[in-house]
Amino acid sequence: MIRCNHCNAQQMNGTIFCSECGASLIAEVPRRETTNALSRTVDGIPSVVEDGPPMVVPAPVPVAKVSGICLVVINSGRRINLESGEELLVGRKDNQRGIYPDIDLGLDGGYDAGVSRRHAIIVPNRKGYMLEDLGSSNGTFINGTRLAPQSPTLIAHGDELKFGTLILRFEIA
Amino acid sequence: MAPGIQLRSTLSRSVLPDAAEEQLIYVLLEMSAHGVPTSTPKLPLNLCLVIDRSSSMRGERLQQVKEGANRIVDMLSEDDCLSLVTFNDRAEVVIASQRVRNKVDLKRMIGGVEAAGGTEMATGMALALQEVQRALVSRGVSRILLLTDGRTYGDEGRCVEIVRRAQGRGVGLTALGIGNEWNEDLLETMSARENSRTQYITSSNEISQIFTDEVKRMHSVFAQDMNLRAEMRPAARLRSLDRVRPFIAAVQAAEEKDLIWAANLGDWPGSDPQAFLLEVVVPPLAIGDHPLLRITLRYSLPGMNLLNQEGNVVLRIGVRQAASVNYEVDATVKHWLERLVAYRLQAGAWQDMAAGRIEDASRRLQMAGTRLFDAGDVDLAHTVQDEATRLLRSGQTSAEGRKRIKYGTRGLMGGETQEREA
Repeated sequence: MIRCNHCNAQQMNGTIFCSECGASLIAEVPRRETTNALSRTVDGIPSVVEDGPPMVVPAPVPVAKVSGICLVVINSGRRINLESGEELLVGRKDNQRGIYPDIDLGLDGGYDAGVSRRHAIIVPNRKGYMLEDLGSSNGTFINGTRLAPQSPTLIAHGDELKFGTLILRFEIA
Repeated sequence: MAPGIQLRSTLSRSVLPDAAEEQLIYVLLEMSAHGVPTSTPKLPLNLCLVIDRSSSMRGERLQQVKEGANRIVDMLSEDDCLSLVTFNDRAEVVIASQRVRNKVDLKRMIGGVEAAGGTEMATGMALALQEVQRALVSRGVSRILLLTDGRTYGDEGRCVEIVRRAQGRGVGLTALGIGNEWNEDLLETMSARENSRTQYITSSNEISQIFTDEVKRMHSVFAQDMNLRAEMRPAARLRSLDRVRPFIAAVQAAEEKDLIWAANLGDWPGSDPQAFLLEVVVPPLAIGDHPLLRITLRYSLPGMNLLNQEGNVVLRIGVRQAASVNYEVDATVKHWLERLVAYRLQAGAWQDMAAGRIEDASRRLQMAGTRLFDAGDVDLAHTVQDEATRLLRSGQTSAEGRKRIKYGTRGLMGGETQEREA
């Protein structure tokens, strides 16, 4: 069995679109970094039969001169480099409603992954960077732990951030 | 090569990883006519027009209906039978079933139809069945062509019952709805059987064209009594069977015996491409090559006096070690599946809506929109997503939007060309 990323329904191996919610189960290249452990059952038969070339996301290269942060979208490898020092909105662009997030995850399959238009904000402060969920529909997670809405939480270099089901790695350059 | 129907199958994946559990595979089954002369003699047509003449049909609509009916008269010949039933609060036989000999007389009778009163469909359908049965012949095509613009109240059950009786006797129904008031659930239910279809007419100036297209389609039937049998290997099963071309519709497949599924596909108008999508559950298999299922199509080619013909195709799959199997799916299979999934999602959305689960309904519509975008149907995707937004804001959808979505996702929106947004 495989599990739908979008609605968590159990689906038969080989399913292309979830029979419950209709989300695509094959569009995303396997997220090896995070699902490797889950994809092995006891007898060594992988229960997730997605198999593509292993995606290697380049290791963080600390660049001393430029101070900034970077979010790496795990499944596409896209690196989003950002200036530090400002509040950064994470979400999906919506022209009609005038929502233009600093980090637009609409380009990374954010819609299918359940990313809200205004999902979360990243706020710099003296200690580092705080991540705050803005009451998103599908939640914000740090290293697998769901944040309560509107409660800023400190994030560190290398943390895994999850918006809905979309996974990003947070890096401080 | 002998004339007949050729079957072609494409699997979503022809090689599966070996696994200790069941896997799902999708099969696209396409049919094409082979060696059939393009000019097979037309089969005699036995057609009954059933026209709603309630007061809302007054004016342009009825005018166009008459125009369309006249054009049908022109298309038919002495071999064909025509009858005309109208209904409002009552129903009457305007043209009793007869051979199309005196076209002037027939047109005069069509011209005498006037609009008034309400909408009571069942009695009209009952009369239509009566008329169509008077001319029922063993060789030929019998159809009822229904056009309505309103809701019938209290006799929906009877309408369905009558039309099932007709379908059971090989009489198909084409149900056309015009405007925004009619009950699309009823027309969909009525036409959810073989040889039947329903279509949404957005503007009255399409009526005439759709009438003539429909008669052309009926006249071009070259294969009849098509029956599909799917014989599975042990422990495999058919999860679903849907028609995807010329339009999307679920097909009832009954498990006749152990491992054998059977479905009635009705007639085949030669002008329509035919394709079906099967979801097949594959049991755990050893590494190697295996037959998965055998598909048999039985049919008749009445125009060529070839009865009880048969076509076969055996589907095989390979099972390999998981590590060596690429997880790539066939693009064509995926495309049709995408459209089918969009259709199923919107159907689920209306059920959610009827049960008061507005958010679920909206979510399903959103996802249907995503699927349609991916399938390249941008205009329809916009319509679907607009309705999803409307639903979330106001708890309601528009009658027009709902019809456009229901019919559009099935691929049944009459050759309307829509503007494409950049």
